[in-house]
Amino acid sequence: MRRLPFFGLLLSLVMLAAPVVSLAREHLQVYVTAPYLELRSGPGRGYPVFHVAERNESVQVLFRRTDWFKVRTERGVEGWAAQRDMLRTVLADGTPFKFDLGDRTGFTSHNFEMGIFAGDYGGSTIVSTYASYSFNSQLALELSVGQFFGKFSNGVTGDLGLTHVLVPEWRFSPFLMLGTGLVHVTPKATLVVPSDRTDQTAYVGGGVRYYLTRRFFVRAEYKSHVVFTKRNANEEVDEWKLGFAFFF
Amino acid sequence: METGIRVLLLTAVLMTLPGCASVRNWFHHRSEVRQAKADAKEEAAQQDALAAQQDADATPPRVIDPEVERRKIKVPKIKSSNIEIGIQDGFISIEDFGTQNAYGLTAAYHVTEDFFFQGEYGRAYAGRTSFETLGGNIQLLTSAERRFTYYDIALGYNLLPGEAFIGPGRAMTSSFYFLGGIGGTKFAGDNRFTVDFGGGYRVLPSDWIAIHIQVQDRVFRTDLLGVSKLTNNVEATLGATVFF
Repeated sequence: MRRLPFFGLLLSLVMLAAPVVSLAREHLQVYVTAPYLELRSGPGRGYPVFHVAERNESVQVLFRRTDWFKVRTERGVEGWAAQRDMLRTVLADGTPFKFDLGDRTGFTSHNFEMGIFAGDYGGSTIVSTYASYSFNSQLALELSVGQFFGKFSNGVTGDLGLTHVLVPEWRFSPFLMLGTGLVHVTPKATLVVPSDRTDQTAYVGGGVRYYLTRRFFVRAEYKSHVVFTKRNANEEVDEWKLGFAFFF
Repeated sequence: METGIRVLLLTAVLMTLPGCASVRNWFHHRSEVRQAKADAKEEAAQQDALAAQQDADATPPRVIDPEVERRKIKVPKIKSSNIEIGIQDGFISIEDFGTQNAYGLTAAYHVTEDFFFQGEYGRAYAGRTSFETLGGNIQLLTSAERRFTYYDIALGYNLLPGEAFIGPGRAMTSSFYFLGGIGGTKFAGDNRFTVDFGGGYRVLPSDWIAIHIQVQDRVFRTDLLGVSKLTNNVEATLGATVFF
């Protein structure tokens, strides 16, 4: 009985997806300029080629998953075409079919970024995740949330700030951060149980990111937080983190 | 010491943040301006010469004035379908507290054909320890403390992508994958840093729906029973997800 709402959720998810599946939408039509375009049975390099579209034949681009495009040929055959093969197709007006590739150029300039971190927050272990939106190749608005697990207290943090990448073209590129946030601390039960508290924080920090491959990069950062407590003195907390991130 | 680092970082930020994009060309700016001025002067001189020449041999008026408007082609956007959202249900063996039903939400983002990020949030309700069962009326935890909630963010790797065949005319793409991640577990009135690792099998009956079978071990340190120890909490789930 307890799981009933759960299956309700599944049903609503399927219903949400239904229009995506059935909607007869207009698809982009591209023309093959290479001798042929290979269609595979799945979105991966190991799947077998089961069909080819000839030169000058048109294919409809249905959707994209990672670096693969699901296409439909004039004869109605559907299959997966690789990103590098799709680069050799043109639009109806003869201009090359262009799309976001997810390579070093993308690392230099992209719109969105997401990642996960593990690290140290004032002596506690922290798990955190972040998402950022880039205004240009150098300046980004960044939101990060984290949970820390300490010996004497646990808590959650949330930060919102600006990140400035100094030289975005570099593979190993440093950046600076400035922002504000909130920290909620839950002290662990002792003889005297202090109550939970939420304080505002401000941080300044810096770090480096290193492009690995495709859409991935490693990111290491340091943030120096000032916690504006309700007591006489403010607290200072150092945060060190290392993690994986990707851009899209 | 810390204040020193902060002052240094703040100064660096203050120096670079304002202007951001514009300040990059400071050093080349002067020479660029000089060049632009010289170019403009040259162009003006050329135009003067051209105007003088045009006056000399004025072109006859055009017979046909072409009024062809360039057709604008609207390129339909290509839908990306890299996000996977769904639910899962199964069992978790909570160390010392028996095996219980576990259920939760899952979301993934497929970055490349090999790698994906996956987040999970799940719940279970811990049973009684052997000590409690044998001891009669002893309760180690309150009812609220028995609630076991966990989350994790993991990096996944599609180790064995392949196809599954049902009947003579149906093939479904599938993959065995590895998972490794970090997260937190809330149990017995405490939050614990948790490391999780495991693997799963994903099969896609259509391009939009995936079925998962997944086994993961959630490891965290607890001192609930007096001594600090690592606990292994193995979870096996069946999930259904939808690609967006």
